[in-house]
Amino acid sequence: MSKEESSKSNRRTTRSSAAAVLRDSGETKKTYHPHIPTLNDLVFGEDTISKEDLLSSFPGRHAQILELLNLLGPLNSPMLPLFVYGGTSSGKTSVILQTFRHLNRPFVYSSCRTCYNLRTLFESILNQLLLHQKDAGSGYLSAKRCEKPSDFVNFLREALVKVVNTLQGNPGKLSTKKLTGQGHGHMIYLIFDNLELVRNWDKSSSILPFLFNLHEVLNMNEVGFLFISNTSPDTYYSNMGYLEPIPVYFFEYTEDDLRQILSRNQTNQEMYSSFLSIVLGPFCRITRQVNELSIAFSSLYKTYREASGDLNNVPNESSKRARFSHFQPHIAPALNQIFKISSQRSELNNLKEPKRKGGSKKLGGFDSSEDLDFHMSTSAKYLLLSAFLASRNPATLDASLFDSTGGASSRKRKKRPSEKAIEQKEISEQELLMKGPGTFPLERLLAIFQCITSVAETSLEDVQGDVVMESQNEDSELMSDVLLQLSSLCNANFVVKGGSCPLEGSTRYRSTVSEDMASKVARSIKFPLSKYMYRR
Amino acid sequence: MEAEDLPEAKAALSLLRSRLCNTSFYFKPPSDSSDSNYSKLKFIISSSVAEACNNSILLLGPRGSGKMAVLELVLQDLLLEYPDMITVIRLSGLLHCDDNGAFKEIARQLCSEYQLLFSKMASFDDNSQFMIAMLRECGLAHKTIVFVLDEFDLFAQGKQRLLYSLLDAMQSVSSQAVVIGISCRLDADQLLEKRVRSRFSHRKLLFLPPCKEDVERLLEHILTLPIDSDLPHDYTIKFNAKLHNMLADERFKKIINTYLDSDSTVKQLVRYLFCAISKMNLKSGMLTLENFEHALSNIQRQPKQECIKDCSILELYILVCMKRLEVKEQNSYNFNSVMKEYKSIHDSFQTSDYYSRSVCLRAFEHLLQRELICFTDNRGHNQSIEFRPVKLLISSPELHLGLKAYRSCPVILQKLMN
Repeated sequence: MSKEESSKSNRRTTRSSAAAVLRDSGETKKTYHPHIPTLNDLVFGEDTISKEDLLSSFPGRHAQILELLNLLGPLNSPMLPLFVYGGTSSGKTSVILQTFRHLNRPFVYSSCRTCYNLRTLFESILNQLLLHQKDAGSGYLSAKRCEKPSDFVNFLREALVKVVNTLQGNPGKLSTKKLTGQGHGHMIYLIFDNLELVRNWDKSSSILPFLFNLHEVLNMNEVGFLFISNTSPDTYYSNMGYLEPIPVYFFEYTEDDLRQILSRNQTNQEMYSSFLSIVLGPFCRITRQVNELSIAFSSLYKTYREASGDLNNVPNESSKRARFSHFQPHIAPALNQIFKISSQRSELNNLKEPKRKGGSKKLGGFDSSEDLDFHMSTSAKYLLLSAFLASRNPATLDASLFDSTGGASSRKRKKRPSEKAIEQKEISEQELLMKGPGTFPLERLLAIFQCITSVAETSLEDVQGDVVMESQNEDSELMSDVLLQLSSLCNANFVVKGGSCPLEGSTRYRSTVSEDMASKVARSIKFPLSKYMYRR
Repeated sequence: MEAEDLPEAKAALSLLRSRLCNTSFYFKPPSDSSDSNYSKLKFIISSSVAEACNNSILLLGPRGSGKMAVLELVLQDLLLEYPDMITVIRLSGLLHCDDNGAFKEIARQLCSEYQLLFSKMASFDDNSQFMIAMLRECGLAHKTIVFVLDEFDLFAQGKQRLLYSLLDAMQSVSSQAVVIGISCRLDADQLLEKRVRSRFSHRKLLFLPPCKEDVERLLEHILTLPIDSDLPHDYTIKFNAKLHNMLADERFKKIINTYLDSDSTVKQLVRYLFCAISKMNLKSGMLTLENFEHALSNIQRQPKQECIKDCSILELYILVCMKRLEVKEQNSYNFNSVMKEYKSIHDSFQTSDYYSRSVCLRAFEHLLQRELICFTDNRGHNQSIEFRPVKLLISSPELHLGLKAYRSCPVILQKLMN
């Protein structure tokens, strides 16, 4: 029994860690020791917590917890489906999971992020209900193969009836060591997390009404449904319609709540609260999301401590003021790079990083620092610059910009503003803002690349004629390498592969690099970028 | 924890909750009034069972008006009344709207009903022939098959082969079946193809939201505790007395009417009652007017206003900039043009909230995530976010209202809105 106990808590640590990092897990991880799953596994697993602990571990969430407890109701009482919603990192998932830990009732948690399509979602729910584990013994297969909603309903009903019957069969037997002797009961709760992602699935127009109507399709009073979403219910309206679940709203934390949350687990409370009193106000004007603030503050607090000299001096009024004046200059720059995450720090504390999607976003962080903080080979830098030029300059001007003398465009640039009417200029600027960087075919990129590398070499070495020939030969040898470099630039999201051109049928590329970034790269290889930029 | 929760209050709460989750409890007609949908439906089905004829009916009405619940009640009664004569096949448009799956499901349910061997591998043809054969056999044995088609309108998508073969099979003398379609689309019969419609008997039962008297009766029916239960007698008396006082209260009626103005079907009312009841104070064990007041504000949410309340000041700036761009009748704009507007505001008013581009981009993404703004098209996935055209998902009065309600909204923002 003790062995089973230990392995059980082992398996459940994944869920508690899911609660700790707020989301993204929840899928059961496999343990290495053989473990016979029992219905015990459907409850949270670790020792239950009292209501006071539950309330005190979530400052600023009392109203929501009490509302949830009210709606979940006393033991064995049926419930209507709930729809829990609120912004990112407002504690929806962890509050619900910890509430179930407090109640000690069986539940099935599945996140639509880890279960990325309908089939994995169905199978994950069935696996948990049927106490099935994917391991070598079962060939890492699910308990049931199930793709269609109609099959799912049949399997689910079967599994639920079985589970509920077992739960009704041994009431209270499982809760021997519990605090109050309550818990379990014969209700089972299905929790769907990250429901907003379902909207992007195939056939979502029929899946969502199906999930919302599952309660009525099953028509079992012993099953409770909870949906968790970070968008509000009105973003789910479709022309199918469904009876709306009861909404439970998690509002964003207020400044006071944030102060309480952030100063939890701090060693030097006084120091941290004086730090927060300076910092929290300005930062809250930008964002009130806990995950982002905690990342921004962790580095800022370090500089604050350094600015204040010795760590444990007694904060009186004068030292506070002195500290503030020391620290003051750090705030404004920090505000402007609030989302910068340096690589070392994210390794140090594995705080949950905000998700980063496009490459362009990543580049935003580099703006403030003077030099590049990543390594890139010289030819890749040239390639990056040529991609940048190809995206920004109109293709018709290539010939004049990159003629053999190199950079004859200065004459043109002087002429242009006088020639063009100001209105037209504005229109074209507007267009540039709207359209973004242009696309270009591979041939153009390679031609520009060849031009700028040859120019760079001639200008650096100051050698005539034959060397240019030689460098061209080198280039043709390097051609395969260049293609490799290009694909790695694509992977790093510096260059995006666009759709193919409808006329030519070849793939077109687009550079996502910002101008600051490009000029930084150019500086690092001493390339005169501005000479080749076409200015409107 | 000064006062303990009353055990009888807990028991009462459980009783009320289980009532609210039990559709047949609150949809059960009060008495055998002849004009209720229940008795009409019962008459139609029982006559076709007794007289061994075919029939088809549509039950129409808004979601949550109890179409399915009433049908279940009728079927329950009839299964008792005519044992071994009725087979019920239940299909739902959400699950079985493709013809292939629907026939398979019919075959599966028929097989499990008559203890036949069901083959998963059977083809579409096999299954449809099996169904027709079963219909004939059942007809010969004077057994009625009742097909319940939930979300009937979804079966009318596509080629309607299921509906056609069902209704066509019912044209023969030997079969004996009732097809009951349930839909919340009042024009469900107009969706049918000509060949299907001509085989359909145009019987329709309309389910309407309850009138005022019905609501009052329903409230009393649901919320009064039964005298003859194991709850303590004096507690029940006290609870019911308090409840009757409250039901008669004008303020209570006003609250209920406010709710019914937006959501008027029975199930929506029940949903509201569930919300209110779950707020019952277990220490006093009584329902109060405040419970219902709070539940009203909890259930009638204004998601967009909440979203604005959740925004940071910078996010509000971006929203206001976008609104200004819309007022300028700029037909399409993206992050870059928003930033241009943001900068021009800063240049002319010297606001204290001027942040770098990357910070604004992140705030912009927050807005996208909150769905206060969205991309105008789904194309251009390879384009970076700054360049994709966006639009506001809230109207300017909503934004105005939101800014007014915002706790510490900068005055400049309100000024910029005008």
